[in-house]
Amino acid sequence: MKILSDIAALLTGMWITWKHIFRRPVTIQYPEEKRTPYPRYRARIVLTRDPDGGERCVACQLCSAACPVDCISMQPGEEADGRRYAEWFRINFARCIFCGLCAEACPTLAIQMTPDFEICKRDIMDLVYEKEDLLIDGCGKSPEYNFYRHAGIGVTQQRGEGIEEKRPVDVRSLLP
Amino acid sequence: MPKLIIDNIPVEVADGVTVLEAAQSVDIPIPHFCWHPALGKAGACRVCAVKMVDGPVKGIQMSCMLPAQDGMVVSTTDPEAVAMRRNVIEWLMINHPHDCPVCDEGGECQLQDYTIAGGHGIRRYSGTKRTHINQDLGPYIEHEMNRCIQCYRCVRFYQEYAGGTDFGVMGSAGRVYYGRFEDGQLESPFSGNLVDICPTGVFTDKTARFKARYWDYDMAPSVCPGCSLGCNTTPVARYRELLKMTARRNEAVNGWFICDRSRFANDAVNDPQRPRTPLIDGREASRDEALEALLLRIAQIEELYGSGSIAVVGSSRLALEGAALLPRLAECCSAGALCYFTSQEESDRTLPLIELLSSGKPASQRDVRESDCIVVCGCDPLQKAPMLALAVRQAWRNGAAVYVVPFGSAQGTEGVQKSTILQMNRWLSGVEASQEPKRLYDAISVHSLDAVPLADAKQPVLICSATNAPDRLAETLEQQSNLKLAVIFPAANSYVAAQLAGAHGAVSLEHAVATGKIKGIIAVEADIPPQLLEGIPFVAALDWRMTETVQAAQIVLPTTAWVEMDGTCINNEGRAQRFKKVMNPGVPVRGLDPAGHPPHIHRTIPPGGEPQPAWQTVAALIEGLCGEQITEPLSGKWERLQELAAESEGVMINDL
Amino acid sequence: MIYDPIDIALILAKIGLVFFVILTLAAYLVFAERKVLAWIQDRKGPNRVGPFGLLQPLADLIKLLTKEDFRPIGADKWLFYLAPAMAAIPAIMIFAVIPFGAPLTLFGHTVPLQVADLNVGLLLFMALSSIAVYGVALGGWASNSKYALLGSIRGLAQLISYELSMGLSLVPVVMLARSFRLSDIVNAQSGCWFIVYQPLAFVIFLISIAAECKRIPFDLPEAEGELVAGFHTEYSGMRFGLFFVGEYINIIVLGGLAATFFLGGWHGPWLPPAVWFALKVLSFAFLFIWMRGTLPRLRYDQLMHFGWKILTPLALVNIVVTGWWLVLRG
Repeated sequence: MKILSDIAALLTGMWITWKHIFRRPVTIQYPEEKRTPYPRYRARIVLTRDPDGGERCVACQLCSAACPVDCISMQPGEEADGRRYAEWFRINFARCIFCGLCAEACPTLAIQMTPDFEICKRDIMDLVYEKEDLLIDGCGKSPEYNFYRHAGIGVTQQRGEGIEEKRPVDVRSLLP
Repeated sequence: MPKLIIDNIPVEVADGVTVLEAAQSVDIPIPHFCWHPALGKAGACRVCAVKMVDGPVKGIQMSCMLPAQDGMVVSTTDPEAVAMRRNVIEWLMINHPHDCPVCDEGGECQLQDYTIAGGHGIRRYSGTKRTHINQDLGPYIEHEMNRCIQCYRCVRFYQEYAGGTDFGVMGSAGRVYYGRFEDGQLESPFSGNLVDICPTGVFTDKTARFKARYWDYDMAPSVCPGCSLGCNTTPVARYRELLKMTARRNEAVNGWFICDRSRFANDAVNDPQRPRTPLIDGREASRDEALEALLLRIAQIEELYGSGSIAVVGSSRLALEGAALLPRLAECCSAGALCYFTSQEESDRTLPLIELLSSGKPASQRDVRESDCIVVCGCDPLQKAPMLALAVRQAWRNGAAVYVVPFGSAQGTEGVQKSTILQMNRWLSGVEASQEPKRLYDAISVHSLDAVPLADAKQPVLICSATNAPDRLAETLEQQSNLKLAVIFPAANSYVAAQLAGAHGAVSLEHAVATGKIKGIIAVEADIPPQLLEGIPFVAALDWRMTETVQAAQIVLPTTAWVEMDGTCINNEGRAQRFKKVMNPGVPVRGLDPAGHPPHIHRTIPPGGEPQPAWQTVAALIEGLCGEQITEPLSGKWERLQELAAESEGVMINDL
Repeated sequence: MIYDPIDIALILAKIGLVFFVILTLAAYLVFAERKVLAWIQDRKGPNRVGPFGLLQPLADLIKLLTKEDFRPIGADKWLFYLAPAMAAIPAIMIFAVIPFGAPLTLFGHTVPLQVADLNVGLLLFMALSSIAVYGVALGGWASNSKYALLGSIRGLAQLISYELSMGLSLVPVVMLARSFRLSDIVNAQSGCWFIVYQPLAFVIFLISIAAECKRIPFDLPEAEGELVAGFHTEYSGMRFGLFFVGEYINIIVLGGLAATFFLGGWHGPWLPPAVWFALKVLSFAFLFIWMRGTLPRLRYDQLMHFGWKILTPLALVNIVVTGWWLVLRG
């Protein structure tokens, strides 16, 4: 009879929940107990430096374009040697959703995510991080990459002396 | 009229039209780099390949080089054509540097778009890339030759279209180089168009270098206020800073290009000295306070000196919206004078010309480009309205005869191309032309209008200047029924000012002050010479620029610059064009905070963001004086302009 | 009728005791519910405030009292303020007629452990539980919110429907005890609990009281998945708290009634009667929590179908059968 099997189903459910009452909870008591996040955990964002110590960020605005919540803003500027850099660079962590699209979009591997997930402040304005709060003294992941060695513009080396480049053309040459 | 089929769509086009244009006419996009509507074809980039399935030619063809012929069956989606285009993109990318993140063209780069569209993402070629040494092309244009894809657009524009000689193409094979023979400022007054025309980032705007990206731009269709031609532009702003000006296509006016004077003229808008807060006797006040004070002063002046002691002064740079409300303001404060011109001479010269233009046939820049006989009469278009000179050059290139009638102040400098235009700008004071100046067009010099064989011409155009117009203009126009007239006025909205001055019986301020009755002046975006203000006890100024009038005024009400408001202007032919608000008014974010980044403050209005368009302040004054509320400044005769779209070619006010 | 001052003092003392016990119990029932649900879901539950989280109800109370007292625009002010009281007060009042222990002898007085031993106790319970419906109906309607209105409409229909089967399931109890007085009903079970004679009535009553206190699987008036929070969506602070605590008082009261009607009230061997009563009430409370942790919510049509087409006819049949049985037994 259907009604009997229905009642049996109800009772089975009750029995399962009854058994769970006596199971060990899986709860981690957070502030006292902490789990170690994986190295690729997506939390607080940092700006890294290239192996030569220069700022990797060229303020190309790809991260702010990729950001679905528009929490990144910046102003590019130019150094005397032609290096493009961020005059100011701001991430509003009150708005950030830690999706990682900025790090994915970054062509110079400057913007990276760290496993430091404990970003709490009493004042919401303290969650607006400026460049000096974001910039770290290190390469983060990918320690060997330097965008300007590949970029083809003469910032870290003379023009034509980068990786994958020929020496500059002599336009006055008449050779075929 | 050849008939052909493109992607199963039958197309009929005029003779001589290329397959690429035929496809565009039915909204089938074909990628292209070297082909440009204004420059034509070069067959250099090979990226417009299509498959000719049937007809007089077969196989893969370059659609920009192939005139449409009867019986052609074209496929743009044929796998062979797609593979060809994909390969072309890939080999164009072989030498292209990996520097999009630090390239200002990134985001608005045709090469970037087509590379992504072609699906090329991973470099397969393992060889090295050719590099070039860049040149310093002066303070306006940045040169980055590594990015070049050899489409020849720059040199075709610079030499052929704009008649420049100091920039060209050098070298052969893989060494092809576009530049000057040596470092130095580009001399053509149209050099800025290289930025727009380059399909990738070889030429970028140095004044806007590393400022923002395309997707962050505040942009809107606008009109250049630089001269009376009303060329269409797209100003680009970011963080309340006007970054750069780009050309906007309007076939009837400027075509595809603008001059450098228009392009590199952001300073006035970004000027830190701009009046941003209302002032009462030099003290900062709120807008309401200042309006209140102004109304009080108007009443006081009238009480002291009697009715008719106020002059309401507009100008030829004030937009139509504000100018059209001034007669009502003059009525409301029972003004003794309504003025649109300060100088009597300018007023006397301009008003008759406007009458002539409204009854006769004004020549647009398109008319000039398509003309077969051009008379440049007592003026140098290159000095006053550079794009008109470029239009004359296009007519001349197509075989038109150009006659020059020198008289008055303009003697024999017509169409001589030097960097004179650039010298008007801020950076330049001592740039010398490196060679002999070259003429934009070869002109036949004649001593008088009668010597020009106008009767033989099919579409003749007469170009003259408002400050130096020939005497017998009206007669000439009457005699020659097909003759069109292009007048160069001194300012962007001279037409508006003259039209309204004529319609409302305005006098010049010079004249009004001479009567001795005027004791108070309300200057609305007007530049009044200091000697006219002597002995005037009260001056109020509504302006967005820090002019001498603003400095002399007791009450200052800041207004918005043209990029910060919607408005209408009327160019030298009587063409009303709409410009849209590009950005919000306010102090630019750059430099707002000494800490280097924008301040950590929530605000609803940016600092200095209170100014309203001039017409709104005028409307507020009218409301304060006679209680009339004005929500729409364009009424009566101008009502039809309310629906004018900024993207349109504009509308001739003669047709209203 | 002249009351002895000691009688009055005793009655006041009983009222005070009942109030204190019920409110404390209700508060800790919330805590217990959160704990038990957490265990069912392999969690720990509230354990931060005080030892084992035992002060959590106090923290909740402080939180509710200090929250903004919000009234939506367009809400009917007086009804909006009245509704939470209408939900909580009748629930407490029902407890007046429930005997929670054997009569005691104090100061020479025989004190029934019952606030008021009315001869129409059962009818009073039916009447008061009907009034409680107004809390739901008015609260939802006065909120001027679509979710609240939908919740209150559902609540109205559900409570009225299940009141019917609840009342009908009690008729056999009255037939067996031959009295509406609850102390008589308890005394009638001193030999054998009515659940033995009336298992069907017990099941119907149990299901009906689950619906009466709007508990899962019958929590359609609140249905947070569909209606935000149903009839009390727009309530905040202690006004919400009254609705909330009213629900838990209802659980205790209805659990007490179920024990009174079917499980012999305070009767039981070895342990003191009051303890027996408390144990029975708490096991009903636990059963409700357990059901909440297990069962899904019914659909609205299933709810109505079940109430009108199954429970009510079954209860009627049960009355007839009981009647025949009583007649046959003489």
